[in-house]
Amino acid sequence: MSNKSVAPKAPAPLAAVPFMIPEMEERRLSNGLRVVLLKNNSLPLLNIRFISHYGEVNDPASRFGVIGAMSSLITEGTKSFKSREIAEKIETLGASIGASSSADAFGVSASCLSIHFETVLDVFSEIILSPTFPENELELFKVNALEGLKYQRSQPPFLADERYSKEIYGGHPYSHVSAVPDMIRGLSREDLVAAHSSIGVSNCTLLVVGDFETEDILTRMEKHFSRLPQGGESMSEFPELPERKGRKLVVVDRVGSAQSNIVMGNAAIPRLHPEYFAATVMNQILGAGASSRLFMNLREDKGYTYGAYSKFAMRRFAGDFEASAEVRTEVTGAAINEFMTEFENIRNHEVSTVELDDAKNYMTGVFPLRLETQEGLTNALGQQIVFGLHERYLQDYRDMVNEVTAEDVFKVAREWIRPESFAIVIVGDSKSILDQLPDIAEETEVYDTEGNRIS
Amino acid sequence: MISSLGEGTSLKPLEIVKHVLGNGLRVAINPYIESPVVSVAVYYDVGSRNERFGRTGFAHLFEHMMFQGSANVGKAEHFQFIMKAGGTMNGTTSSERTNYYETLPADQLPLALWLEADRMKSLAVNQENLDNQREAVKEEKRLRYDNQPYGQVFDMITSMVYTNFANAHSTIGSMDDLDAATVDDLQEFFKLYYAPSNAVLAISGAVDPVTCIELVEKYFGEIPSGENPLVLDVSEGVGVSEKHRDYFDQLAPLPAFLRGWKISDRTSRDHKAAMLGGRILFDGDSSRLYQKLVKGDESVVQLFGFTDERRGPSAIYMGAIPKPGFTTDSISAVMDAEIADLAINGPSDSEMKKLRNQILNDSVRMRQSSLARAQQMAESWLYDGDPRSYESEINELLSIDGNEIKLAISKFIKDGESALLNVVPSAPSVGEVTTNVQ
Repeated sequence: MSNKSVAPKAPAPLAAVPFMIPEMEERRLSNGLRVVLLKNNSLPLLNIRFISHYGEVNDPASRFGVIGAMSSLITEGTKSFKSREIAEKIETLGASIGASSSADAFGVSASCLSIHFETVLDVFSEIILSPTFPENELELFKVNALEGLKYQRSQPPFLADERYSKEIYGGHPYSHVSAVPDMIRGLSREDLVAAHSSIGVSNCTLLVVGDFETEDILTRMEKHFSRLPQGGESMSEFPELPERKGRKLVVVDRVGSAQSNIVMGNAAIPRLHPEYFAATVMNQILGAGASSRLFMNLREDKGYTYGAYSKFAMRRFAGDFEASAEVRTEVTGAAINEFMTEFENIRNHEVSTVELDDAKNYMTGVFPLRLETQEGLTNALGQQIVFGLHERYLQDYRDMVNEVTAEDVFKVAREWIRPESFAIVIVGDSKSILDQLPDIAEETEVYDTEGNRIS
Repeated sequence: MISSLGEGTSLKPLEIVKHVLGNGLRVAINPYIESPVVSVAVYYDVGSRNERFGRTGFAHLFEHMMFQGSANVGKAEHFQFIMKAGGTMNGTTSSERTNYYETLPADQLPLALWLEADRMKSLAVNQENLDNQREAVKEEKRLRYDNQPYGQVFDMITSMVYTNFANAHSTIGSMDDLDAATVDDLQEFFKLYYAPSNAVLAISGAVDPVTCIELVEKYFGEIPSGENPLVLDVSEGVGVSEKHRDYFDQLAPLPAFLRGWKISDRTSRDHKAAMLGGRILFDGDSSRLYQKLVKGDESVVQLFGFTDERRGPSAIYMGAIPKPGFTTDSISAVMDAEIADLAINGPSDSEMKKLRNQILNDSVRMRQSSLARAQQMAESWLYDGDPRSYESEINELLSIDGNEIKLAISKFIKDGESALLNVVPSAPSVGEVTTNVQ
């Protein structure tokens, strides 16, 4: 298609609409529990989050999955309510309650119409303060979790992620992406009680966003949460990430696979790293979205894939750079070549002013879009709490993005994309993959989908 | 007017300005100043239901073609323009319609309208784009359907439930049909279905309606109106087209089953009653089937159910992945007993209260997002001829009583004919992919 240089140019924007990011307020309950409040009375809705730093990194290496199990079971029975009563009480109000865990955090969240807040708070606080982890629910959890693990093994993205995390994180707890069956079988009620006993004032924050009156909500929170104990210390010292000298190829053989799932990358930076904004802008140009270089090359130009992306997975204590795509088996080798070309390109040439400005415009433009709903605001503040970002982070975000220069981008690309020492993990038909990539790496390993090494 | 939420809280109706262009384009505008954001949604009255035999997959192929350039927008530049402006966008295709939408900082409204108008006016329907996007669709099919365990079961059960080809075939379509498509075919399709008179444009966000109308007139006003598409026949006979099928899935780790029942179209009261009855059966941890199968009997790994709401005859689906040691037959029998209980005894008071609160919650929650508001107005106008029809729909949902739910479940589900799709995990060595057992 001829490159028509746009006759009537894209129209200019209207006058900018200012964005007043609401200010959060921080208070403490009598036991010292931190409460973060953000008032937004535009709709009669409320979101509450109880966020603990006692995340999955606190599981002992041999017992990974206890905190995950604790978060699955914490909503399945309390001193006053059976599992079924919790579901009925909450769903009858059209509200929702859920618990979840990640590597860096454990949390319970609820959302409801503000008129139902009192009832929801009763259940919410019971779940956090007095879960009973009933034996019958634990047994049911185990059976389902074991089936879930089996299902996971049929999913190529899981297999790729599992192997890639092992390669990048070695002995660090971030190397675990899932519990193993033996650990699930051996799980006891005492394990859950012990994990739960570490949750407390010293590692927790209560976050409330929405339609409320400040003093009223603090009184209610005091009534429920002043009995939250101090809790244990969450872990912050971990083994170093393995250092890789050469490139390594790991294939997970999946017979009958029409596609290859590719994940490749190297260890990089944690979330609070000073180069966070430079790295994020660089990645926006390289591979974050549908107008980034990887997507434009591998999907739009070559048609190898439905999407090709890269990201910095940045967690509290460590992080990595990873690029990924699902491609047709027969173009696996060609796709990897294109990835490598793009990495070399961004590592060896400074990005243009136009590309840099486009990336920044995107990041600063979508920022208010993500804060449009109460859930969006709550998520943003939740991240702020989990990672310990400073209290005016949301207000300062756009300035921080705009300060990034082409030189900063060049620097982080050279520093944090290291193709010569990549781990490349491919899930797919191993014979075809190995035929297409004879000399890609110094070292090659092949596994079956159960995680057993084949060659 | 949305009813009160109880205890004195109520929600004001949204402000909506309606405007119809000379070429027939319907425009709905909702000024909403809470957030400095605007969403634009364009709904075209074309979905897989409009496709005839031998011509499937066109509606969805166009969802791809629409990002391939037009008179003033280069190939794939649509993404670029939106992203550079700090926006997000997408398009989706269903049996009922094809939609395109973007959310941007509110000052970028002109860009969104200009982009949508340019492709409505002058989409580049040529051989290069057809070839390229045909491949992209095949890739999407491999990724989402062929290479996923259970990836094909929803298309299969749909084809088993409906008797009319317009309803029964999949949105992704047949790859053979796509291979046979010519540029002329696509141009004809575009002319017929992508005319302004066949579309609704909705705008919601921190914008002024007068400015909106000026801009819409400026960008869309000169697009010629189209012919009216043919009247569609989506009527269904009684009963399902295929009662039982065993499907051998190489990627499935466990057996599973999916059942489907036909119900009436989305505007009818008994459709709404059946949909609410479905929620009582399978929606959420307090639903009857969840409490019975997942919790009580501990017999299934996963339970699923949903109502496929269509402008014509619709369907309800329920299914499960049984635990090892339990069979499809035994789980199905328990399901039937729960259905019969609801059909005979009706919902409890607390179930009715739950439905009511969920409907109210959903209507409040939906309001938070400019995109959800724009989509709701567009869909309401396209389907019901009124951008506010979602309000009467909420009120109608709130007015349905337990007896109506009981009767609808009895009529459509308990006494209705069902289709059963059995998914059987098969070793990779089995060459056969599907087998029909009739």
